[in-house]
Amino acid sequence: MKKNLKIQIKYIYLILFITAAYILLPVMNGDYLYTIQDNSVFIGGSTFMKDLMGREGGWLSWCSCYLTQFFYHPWLGSTILILLWSATFLMLVRAFRISSKWSFLALLPQLFFLFELLDYGYWLYYSKTIGWAFNHTLLFFFITLAATLLIGTLRPMNIFQKKVVARTMEGISFVLMFVLGTWLLGSWKFFHHPSEFTITMSDANFKHEMRMYRALDEFRFDDVLNEYESIQETPTNLMVLYKNIALMHTGQMDKMFATGNCGIKPEPDDSIKLRTSQLGAPLIYYLFGHINYAYRWAFENSVQYRLSFRNLKMMAVCAIFNKDFDVAAKYLTMLKTSAYYRQWAFEHEAWMLNSTKFVQSKDYEIVTSVLNDQANLLDGDDGLCQRYLLEFFSDLEHPNTPLLEDVCLCMSLWSKDYYTFALHFYDYVNKHPNRPIPELYQEGAILQRDAEESPIDLSGFMFDEIVNEKYKSFAIDYFNLQQRKLSPNEIAQQMKPRYGNTYWWYYYFYNDFEIY
Amino acid sequence: MKLKKILSLTALVALLASCTHPTVPTDAQAESRLPRIFPDYTEVTIPCNISPMNFSVQEGASEVVARLSFPGGEYTYGEGQKVQIDEQEWQEILKASIEKSIKVEVYAKIGDTWKSYKPFNIYVAPDSIDSYISYRVIQPSYVAYEKLSINQLNLTNFDEREIYNNMSVSTEDMGQCINCHSYKNYKTDNMLFHMRQGFGGTMIVSNGELKKVDLKTAETLSAGVYPAWHPTANLIAFSTNKTGQSFHTKDANKIEVQDTESDLILYDVEKNEVRNIVELDDELEVFPTWTPDGKKLYFCSAHFEYHNDSIEKSAEMILRYKEVKYSLYSIDFDPKTKEFSNLQMVYDAASDSINASVSLPRVSPDGKHVLFAQGEYGCFHVWHNDADIYMLNTQTNKVKKLDAINSPRSESYPSWSSNGRWIMVASRRDDGNYTRPYIAYFDRQGKAHKPFLIPQKDPNFYTFFLRSFNRPEFMIEPVSITPQQFATKAKEDAVPAQ
Repeated sequence: MKKNLKIQIKYIYLILFITAAYILLPVMNGDYLYTIQDNSVFIGGSTFMKDLMGREGGWLSWCSCYLTQFFYHPWLGSTILILLWSATFLMLVRAFRISSKWSFLALLPQLFFLFELLDYGYWLYYSKTIGWAFNHTLLFFFITLAATLLIGTLRPMNIFQKKVVARTMEGISFVLMFVLGTWLLGSWKFFHHPSEFTITMSDANFKHEMRMYRALDEFRFDDVLNEYESIQETPTNLMVLYKNIALMHTGQMDKMFATGNCGIKPEPDDSIKLRTSQLGAPLIYYLFGHINYAYRWAFENSVQYRLSFRNLKMMAVCAIFNKDFDVAAKYLTMLKTSAYYRQWAFEHEAWMLNSTKFVQSKDYEIVTSVLNDQANLLDGDDGLCQRYLLEFFSDLEHPNTPLLEDVCLCMSLWSKDYYTFALHFYDYVNKHPNRPIPELYQEGAILQRDAEESPIDLSGFMFDEIVNEKYKSFAIDYFNLQQRKLSPNEIAQQMKPRYGNTYWWYYYFYNDFEIY
Repeated sequence: MKLKKILSLTALVALLASCTHPTVPTDAQAESRLPRIFPDYTEVTIPCNISPMNFSVQEGASEVVARLSFPGGEYTYGEGQKVQIDEQEWQEILKASIEKSIKVEVYAKIGDTWKSYKPFNIYVAPDSIDSYISYRVIQPSYVAYEKLSINQLNLTNFDEREIYNNMSVSTEDMGQCINCHSYKNYKTDNMLFHMRQGFGGTMIVSNGELKKVDLKTAETLSAGVYPAWHPTANLIAFSTNKTGQSFHTKDANKIEVQDTESDLILYDVEKNEVRNIVELDDELEVFPTWTPDGKKLYFCSAHFEYHNDSIEKSAEMILRYKEVKYSLYSIDFDPKTKEFSNLQMVYDAASDSINASVSLPRVSPDGKHVLFAQGEYGCFHVWHNDADIYMLNTQTNKVKKLDAINSPRSESYPSWSSNGRWIMVASRRDDGNYTRPYIAYFDRQGKAHKPFLIPQKDPNFYTFFLRSFNRPEFMIEPVSITPQQFATKAKEDAVPAQ
């Protein structure tokens, strides 16, 4: 009865651990796991394998890359991981005859691996370690397996006849295994980055960003907007940008400020130099029709950090747009060897072989809607994707699609570029004399009405009454609050409930626009 | 029991043997076209000491068989879609085929049907090729770089080794970029390569002795960038460059790498001294290369005058990038006095009639020809799709485009084998992005033949390899200094040049 109880305790520990792992992984951090696989890669064939074999721990990295793919379905990837942890636990208990009562000690390494997996946070975009999600788990699994087999082989040879000898040998094996494990793990630069555990576990923006990215990547623009609406905290600049891209591709870009356009720069750990270039620039450029720059950043990130499915897919689709079919075929061939992007690769290969299919694709429809017809420019973004796009579209002369007209107006407003907004507004009004002018553009224009430096004369322009009245009351309220000697921040807070969704509030009170 | 074992073993050996040499299908449907194979080895001329010309058949077949017929025999190969030739048998094939050809017949099983394709020939030249080449293995990236190395490949047996790997000294916070490498007379006891950023400096092996020097002095623009060893004296000509990069928003070329300033310097290895070669106003001199007798230095130079004082030079260069056109120059050199004289324009590529730009000249071992890359503008032709290889006849001063070598995509970095019979170029013909080393036969009549991609053990290697082979150079012997020795020296401080 007592023995049975001990056995049960061992399994109870295991079940508790498995339950906790499932809750922490697929239940709470499914998007995180999906993003990990999206930023990882596995390529079948000898070249990828040979490349990894030339590195420290190459074989493990290869296995790890293979297994990381299964985080595409977070439940499946987690199950594989948890099975490995469970097997390691059981082997440890068995090999070292750890009593059931103390068997929870054998779960400590697994707990550590669980913590380590959740510890990456924003590092998942920056880590240069290939296959990091499974590396240590696999390493420890194989060490434990080897120790178990060794002890299992020695035990029947009567070496362990005496209990003292047996225990001593097992103790030595246990210590040796941990020394070896620590040494190996140490050689993998075990403590290679500051902890981001709290970011993964509790930073809602980190999760919103991942969800919004995936929705954008899959052209689920309504889901991007829904996700943005669900945000309780101040969003990050990147989330604002993602939201605006979704608005742009759903024809609602003039709701940019009405939906909240003030973001912050996330501050994870000081040692991470967060840049939009690494977090989402390829997709952002792509959805703004900047194919060469989307390709460039997918490439740069693959070189500087590591190759990923995300970047490989982006490079392939950009190459198709640029009619670089040979290099696109190369990337698609690689993707065909993966577990989950095989179908994607075949679909995109069909685009190359049949231009009608390509023209009918969602990608084509979306990207061409913002493709500008400006002549090629020799240029550069200095690693600041958002600033580049703001300046590019603000300065773009004669936008050639209706969507681009909106983009140019909105980008000028967003960057508070009075001059270019005025020019775009002038063009817009003249081009569409019978079309109602969206409120946002009138809000921007009304600021110019009395501005001396305005390049256009708006004295004869008929603003909507509602805009006129709202602006008047904004000006009066602003004046009154200034008379009360309130600080700009206090004025901003007091005016936010009534005017927070106007461009004026953004223009006058949002001065912390930190591009990264 | 023993007999049973022997029989089993024999059966296994027989099975393996049959796997090595598959049977040619007898009921194949004939196709009138050549098979699609990669690399394209149809009708190429190869050296008599090259490694096996393995290829894959790209017909969507489940099985393939290739029959290689040569004077005195034939062999068949095929596994899946790959044709990988046994190295020992290949030696036999090569030996029997010198100055003759190997006939290759390809059969592919598509669905349940075997198809046979129009046979092709691989011609075996009587001339051998230098046993080694070296190249920089690098991602064809823009600004970023991570792992890169200089590797050497034995052309006769696939053996590839690293000469130096930047990761051996790079840290998470401080990377290191490896630049161009160069050898004196195809030998490796006098060689060099340059490193930038972390542990930067120029690694010079002089008569087998390794040293690290800093060629940036108060008088020079930068450290040495594009090098050329003098063939007899212990001297190295370098260009010094102030280089920037910018990016096309739409153009297929994607990147421009431009020099806002550049000069030529001469480095005396023994005295550790640097001096300028030519100092011309408004000229961008680059890519020095010596004639085999060491009495002349060829280089490229572009005349470029900055007009706009209100913006930085780099900004003006970006705005006017298509105006930068390099022509080919030469200057005489006296190895005894070490003095330069008689500067001449050899090929006025920038002239209105030609309106082009040349880069990377290389003189043939007999001094009769100069190869170079030519494109519409600029000097970084590896990123220019229109860049092709041209050849100057130094006796007639006539320039011709080597059509047999070129492709619709970029060709650059031409070089000559030590016997002058083989030309190697870095080509992006396969996919436009990744540079691959192609070799072409240059026969005694001065005719260049169809180039072939350097063979690899796995014919799919290039398909899955996401790095470029930059600046491929011939060598007649391997580099004997180990990567570890280079890494140890790299960590030391560089000795400043005088």
